[in-house]
Amino acid sequence: MPAPPFLTPVEDSVPKVNNEIAIGENLDFQRKWWRLERAVWSLFLLILICDLLGLFGRGWLSKATRATPDNTLKLDYERIERADTPSIMTFHFGPNAIHNGRIQLYVSESITRPLGAQRIAPEPLISAVGDAGNTYTFAATNAPATVQIELEPSFPGAHDFTVQVPNEPPINAKVFVVP
Amino acid sequence: MPTILHAVLGYFILLFTVRVLKRRAGSQMTLFEFVLIFLMGGIIILSTVGNDRSVTNCTCAVIAVGLIHRTVSWARSKSPRFGAVIDGTPLVVIQRGVWQPEVVRGMMLRREDIEAAGRSNGVTKVEDIDYAILERNGRISVIPKDS
Repeated sequence: MPAPPFLTPVEDSVPKVNNEIAIGENLDFQRKWWRLERAVWSLFLLILICDLLGLFGRGWLSKATRATPDNTLKLDYERIERADTPSIMTFHFGPNAIHNGRIQLYVSESITRPLGAQRIAPEPLISAVGDAGNTYTFAATNAPATVQIELEPSFPGAHDFTVQVPNEPPINAKVFVVP
Repeated sequence: MPTILHAVLGYFILLFTVRVLKRRAGSQMTLFEFVLIFLMGGIIILSTVGNDRSVTNCTCAVIAVGLIHRTVSWARSKSPRFGAVIDGTPLVVIQRGVWQPEVVRGMMLRREDIEAAGRSNGVTKVEDIDYAILERNGRISVIPKDS
């Protein structure tokens, strides 16, 4: 069956300039667009400044430190993380954290699951699960002692976590993971 | 699933960023613009496929981008307003031999751009141009005075 004829007449469909050339210029729209462009470039500049300051992670504003009152446990972490990007959470232990050549560290499950713990350095002697988290036991000599956990969060959003050494108040904190 | 979402997001971020650049980004490419396009494309692809570099994942990403592009093209053909947002509208740079300073300033055009467009149309002097039109694709159409 033959296709129906194309009945649209061949003629200019856009306004003419000086009644000579059909261009379809729309200066009113373009002026609005130029205003939008200026606003967008200001926004882009603001985004870059925020990024340089670390508001989207990996910068000065994203770094945080928490500690127990007597500095038995001091924690350096990033309060703003980026999804699928590695970061380091560092635990500094004071003398009170070492008992019989051992340090015990409890970390809540959220460190493993949403915050994506990849690796612990040094390797713990014992890893025990329970109490909605993991308890790691490390061999230790004298303070200061440091343990690092490499994180690689996969889930954007706000995630609470808790870390604690035995007989000390817990450190509760929150990490925002940006996409 | 994340790949498709990242591809959709990446497509619109790239489209928007290129759109708010001036119109030369896609046409009359100089080395200056090549750097921009390749660098932006390379950066977006990193977040689109992530760590999953399997053929399945890359195929899904390519299909997703293709479908979005087709949908945007369809919407552009149906709505002139949407088309203007995506592509802009043609702008008259020289009208009856007179510069249009608002357009020249707004589009960050240089006299050399018009002269180059004139030369490619066989016009040797800017004074001989009756109309110069910055088209939606970034090309500059030139109509000489004696045509």
